[in-house]
Amino acid sequence: MNAVVRTRGLTKSYGDVGLFDVDLLVPAGCIYGLVGMNGAGKTTLLSLLSGMRRPDRGTISLGVTRREVAVCPDVSEFDGWLSAFEVVDLARTLVAPRASDEAALSALATVGLAESADRRVGGFSRGMTQRLGLACALVGEPELIIMDEPTSALDPAGRAEMLSAVISMRGSRTVVFSSHILADVQRVADQVGILRDGRLLYQGGTQELIDTYLTPSWLLRIGGDAASVAAAMSCQSWASKVAPAGPDLLRVDATSIEAGERGIPAVVAACGARQVSCEPVDADLESAFLALTAAGRSADGRGAIGPTAAGPLAARVDATP
Amino acid sequence: MSLWRLEWLRLVRTPRCIALAGVFLFFGLVEPVATKYEADLVGRLAKGAPALPPPTAAAGLGSYVSEIAIVGLVVVVAVTAAAFGFDTRRGLATFLRTRVSSMWQLVAPRFAVNAAAAVFAYLLGTCGAWYETAVLIGPLPAGAVMAGVGCGAMYLVFAVALTGFAASLVRSVIGTVGVALALLLFLPIAGLYHGISNWLPSALINAPVDLANGTAHLSHFGPALSVTAALTAAVLAVSVARLGRREA
Repeated sequence: MNAVVRTRGLTKSYGDVGLFDVDLLVPAGCIYGLVGMNGAGKTTLLSLLSGMRRPDRGTISLGVTRREVAVCPDVSEFDGWLSAFEVVDLARTLVAPRASDEAALSALATVGLAESADRRVGGFSRGMTQRLGLACALVGEPELIIMDEPTSALDPAGRAEMLSAVISMRGSRTVVFSSHILADVQRVADQVGILRDGRLLYQGGTQELIDTYLTPSWLLRIGGDAASVAAAMSCQSWASKVAPAGPDLLRVDATSIEAGERGIPAVVAACGARQVSCEPVDADLESAFLALTAAGRSADGRGAIGPTAAGPLAARVDATP
Repeated sequence: MSLWRLEWLRLVRTPRCIALAGVFLFFGLVEPVATKYEADLVGRLAKGAPALPPPTAAAGLGSYVSEIAIVGLVVVVAVTAAAFGFDTRRGLATFLRTRVSSMWQLVAPRFAVNAAAAVFAYLLGTCGAWYETAVLIGPLPAGAVMAGVGCGAMYLVFAVALTGFAASLVRSVIGTVGVALALLLFLPIAGLYHGISNWLPSALINAPVDLANGTAHLSHFGPALSVTAALTAAVLAVSVARLGRREA
């Protein structure tokens, strides 16, 4: 695997808070979502990667040059008396001086600000300013884009636009973005890193995290004696939990997807009941995140990554490209 | 678009340019008039007070120099501090710092453009004062005045560089103004110690007046000019180093 970003033992301490021994690995071409609660260390990590802060310990290795890295802060700010074109053109001059003026216009068009090119930035809305920040990042044709909470403070339409822009970059460049909105991360990120209390609890595929940390669950609607079905289901070795979820409705948690898919119909049939419907409960990143952070807290008081805290996932951080 | 053009636009698209030129020109036009009629004013307001001697041309220029040494300097420092205040907003700091390869790219335009603007405003005000003085009081020796203006301009250039250094000490614009003015005010106080006053940048402030009235020769200001030039380079270098090490 070709890594664009690799950190080893990255530490930045502000007393009890900060970042501690983070081994980050960002594969080339992926969209890497960095998630964590407020104060987990997301902004600190991104600041270290962007060079805005220096680590106390550890190393940062970039597979690209600094000029090929573009940074979008959580709140983009520019001198209000400049026009949008001037802002983007200034970015172009600094990172891609050989590119023509057309590059700035093209970047503005990409983010939907072509018609506002001559407007003073001071009159822009928050969403427009965020998009302008993205245009400044794109104008230099970066290989790596670092985005800190790119959808924060945006309205739903703005969020959708920003996420679409991020998705469009998959494969052509590497994106590392942080967010506490897990739905956004699940939607766009194919790799995810979970920070808690400054430590990296998990790093790997988004779907893999969901599959590993979520118990397969179904909502089973019974035509007949739901209580007897529930009692029979509870005796099964593969059923980790059976609980009523409403009239004639049971929630069944299984030890594995296969066990549940085989076992549920069999138990219903053995009880002589009718299976009206059996729907899997949607797995999402938020549930996996909560399960992972709870597992981390219970396994290790500090929530640090370790053989017992993250289990087999700790070994899933690829050591070599 | 470049970082140099950015600083030029910062001056002309905001009130900074007008403030600089306006303050210097105002005092340049007003102070010689006040000097001319000072004796009359005092006589009318304080009857019985000893009559003031008639004003000299050097005094007309001197009143302008005295005012811009305080008010003009504050405006120069404030305008420069605002230009160096890119770290006060994290988003702006990220935009600039992640796109330059060295801090000198950010410092050089801010220093040069603001120093040039300060010198231009100073020249503009001096031209106003020179004209008013010549018309109302009497002629000034051209060579002496120009040499003195050169010394005063050097002092303003140093003040701009020192403001950049102050910005490397504190992040806020107001804090930068305070630190810069405190450092600049410290110099004349330090000059009270015998022997070093002629070497300090503050010795250049009154150079136009001293040269115009013949109390000093240009060579008298040689030490101060040399020290000021060296200090300007030194504080710029330190500013670049400190700003480069600052974490946003």
